[in-house]
Amino acid sequence: MSELQSVNHSAICVHDLQQAVDFYIGVLGAREASATDFVTEDVIKGRSLHRSIILEDYLIALMLARDFMPMPPDEKLQGTHGFRHAFGVPKERFKNLMDIFKQNGVKYEGPVEHKPNGPFGESVYVKDPSGNFLEFVWRRDENVRYDSVTGVGEG
Amino acid sequence: MSTMTQARPLQDGGLTLESLAFVTIPVADVAAARGFYSRILGLEDAGSDRLPGFEGPHAVLRTPSRQFVVLTAPEGPDTRDSGVHNAYRVSPAARDAIAARLAAEKVEVLTYKEDRPKEDEENFYFLDSDGNRSQLVRSASAKAANGVQAIDHTVVLSYDMLWAESFYGGDLKLPVESRVGVKTADHSRARRWAAGDEQMAPGTRRLDKLYMTMGGQNEVPRANMQVYFSAGASVFGVYLATKHQQEPPEERLVGTPRTAFLVARGDLDRIAAVLQKRRRPFQGPVEHPASAPFAASLYCKDTSGNFLEFCAARR
Repeated sequence: MSELQSVNHSAICVHDLQQAVDFYIGVLGAREASATDFVTEDVIKGRSLHRSIILEDYLIALMLARDFMPMPPDEKLQGTHGFRHAFGVPKERFKNLMDIFKQNGVKYEGPVEHKPNGPFGESVYVKDPSGNFLEFVWRRDENVRYDSVTGVGEG
Repeated sequence: MSTMTQARPLQDGGLTLESLAFVTIPVADVAAARGFYSRILGLEDAGSDRLPGFEGPHAVLRTPSRQFVVLTAPEGPDTRDSGVHNAYRVSPAARDAIAARLAAEKVEVLTYKEDRPKEDEENFYFLDSDGNRSQLVRSASAKAANGVQAIDHTVVLSYDMLWAESFYGGDLKLPVESRVGVKTADHSRARRWAAGDEQMAPGTRRLDKLYMTMGGQNEVPRANMQVYFSAGASVFGVYLATKHQQEPPEERLVGTPRTAFLVARGDLDRIAAVLQKRRRPFQGPVEHPASAPFAASLYCKDTSGNFLEFCAARR
């Protein structure tokens, strides 16, 4: 067994780094962790162009795509186009999140209620400015120990 | 409408930056360069003793917009193969007249391109005998029929683009006009350059050797990062330096090459307060004699050691 512990971080490819930073930091509330290829030393080393952010406790590297990625249609807000990243949000802040999307002109789909016998309560679906699918979900078991959850896949 | 009367308040900082006040050009022969720029661009010779803060031989030329082009002895790093250049605002007729004079003096007009969207059709460049690059940018506001009207924009190099943006955009509150090098489209376009399908100006493109320490990696064409800031009626560009160059000594705050911005007198104190808060060294405000075109100046360097001057106009 490889004994992997957890997902450590994600790299999300985007078409516009500044637009992505404005979204993940300005709208979702992430904080900047680092930036690469914005200094002369990185140019000399030939490093990749990306900015790293931390959303709550999760590290995301926003990588500038070298080529245009075919993206789903604008109106499609829920799906799996390569990847979909889902982030947990406390139930009490869930409605506030949708208010933030409204204030910032971010189109969203939801709230979508999940099966009552599963761990997920409701989800809201958006895309980042480059078209990457994102989901925000509150869990019915948010106030109980994680070990007591039965069958995550049932949600 | 005059290009110099459109003072624009900076974002929520209470500062008013009017335009670029002057740019400098390093030349080996100041007298010869004075003749060249006067003849070619139609600049007025404003003498050599009217701008404070310059040591050594220099010449001062003036545009109809009351901005200055200062020709100085070479100092600082050699930036001829970089994005550093000065651009001048001209009427279409004046551009034709300047083109004719360049042809008469057998100076080649270069027609490579830059990335800034507003310059897409303004690919008219020439070099002086020292290799300094000038660009002509057509403008409906330019009235001079035979020469340049105003300084349109200038470019400096930075070793850290986010720090530069924090300084110019955050501390000095210059609005970002455009960015290059952070979009997939910029890098797609760079491949056209690498394939020989597009001629681009020096400093705009790179061939990066990815992770060169690993060896054996391919070269990848990239758009070199650029940020353009609105500077009142002018534009101020910052390009990422692609190699290290010696910065001036830390304690030196006045020198060349130097970029100057025209501000309201009260703003000199506000800029000094901002620099003090950021613990960035500065000198001034220095009051100037009545013979000087500016009432006072504040001198400092940006985050990459570029000399800056903020000049208060004499009202």
